[in-house]
Amino acid sequence: MTPSVLEVVLLVFVLTSALGAALLKDTLAAVMAFAAYSLGISIIWVLLQAPDVGLTEAAVGAGVMTILLLIALANTVRPSEDQLFERVRPRTVLAVGAFVLVMGATVPALPAVGATDSPVGSGEVTDYYLDNAYEETEVHNAVTAVLAAYRGFDTLGEAVVVFVAGVATLTVLRTEAFA
Amino acid sequence: MSVIDALLTHYNYYAVVLLLGIGVYMLVESTNLIKKVIGMNIFQTGIFLFFITAAYVEGGAAPVVHEGGGPYVSPLPHVLILTAIVVGVALTAVALALVVRIYDEYGTLDEEVLRQLYHD
Repeated sequence: MTPSVLEVVLLVFVLTSALGAALLKDTLAAVMAFAAYSLGISIIWVLLQAPDVGLTEAAVGAGVMTILLLIALANTVRPSEDQLFERVRPRTVLAVGAFVLVMGATVPALPAVGATDSPVGSGEVTDYYLDNAYEETEVHNAVTAVLAAYRGFDTLGEAVVVFVAGVATLTVLRTEAFA
Repeated sequence: MSVIDALLTHYNYYAVVLLLGIGVYMLVESTNLIKKVIGMNIFQTGIFLFFITAAYVEGGAAPVVHEGGGPYVSPLPHVLILTAIVVGVALTAVALALVVRIYDEYGTLDEEVLRQLYHD
């Protein structure tokens, strides 16, 4: 299927803000570009019919992540603004360009965006969840059903990761807030 | 398949490749450690875009299942990416804590200055 105008605009916006984050010398400007990037990509999630991911991305990606970056900036230093953009080194551009070309060469082998016969869209697991999620869990939202019921241990593992990350952060910063 | 055709049908996957490229570039080239963390996050969201695009089915609705509805997009990649987003934030928090700690110890966030200090 061909992209709609809105999708093209969003993709261009997202790629431009990612480039801005990469090339702006001032760290605060890069953080702002990254926040715009997260917001743009959360709208793309909604267009791709993934509202749960969109909500999480907007709250956590654009919200919490920006706050974390700003706190880190407030506790460190902003490089002096003698120039607007980073110096671009041709050697790195060449290496990354080669990487992009190799990855890009594999793209036509993938199923088209939105293909109804793609392995994910018509897979056995997908059909099982869609057919049985409501009878087995009585939750209408299949994403919630899979997250909390079918893959509940996965989500428990995720909670463990977040807990460990919290402990690690406090240890690294030697905070005694909970001592 | 011509390049234009591929671009029109696989547009999101090309965006994935470009985002991965920008992420790698920032990880390699940015000397500022905070910008490296941002680059890591851009690389991550590139992968997320790959998953969510793979889940998408043309004309599909969000996977909130009701009797007689459908077709729906696949819920499984959405779940995996929800988990990945939260884990990504945890990762970023630890990375930024390390960055702040490095700044407290060495008084700089510049990778090249840090390397110089390390060698001295």
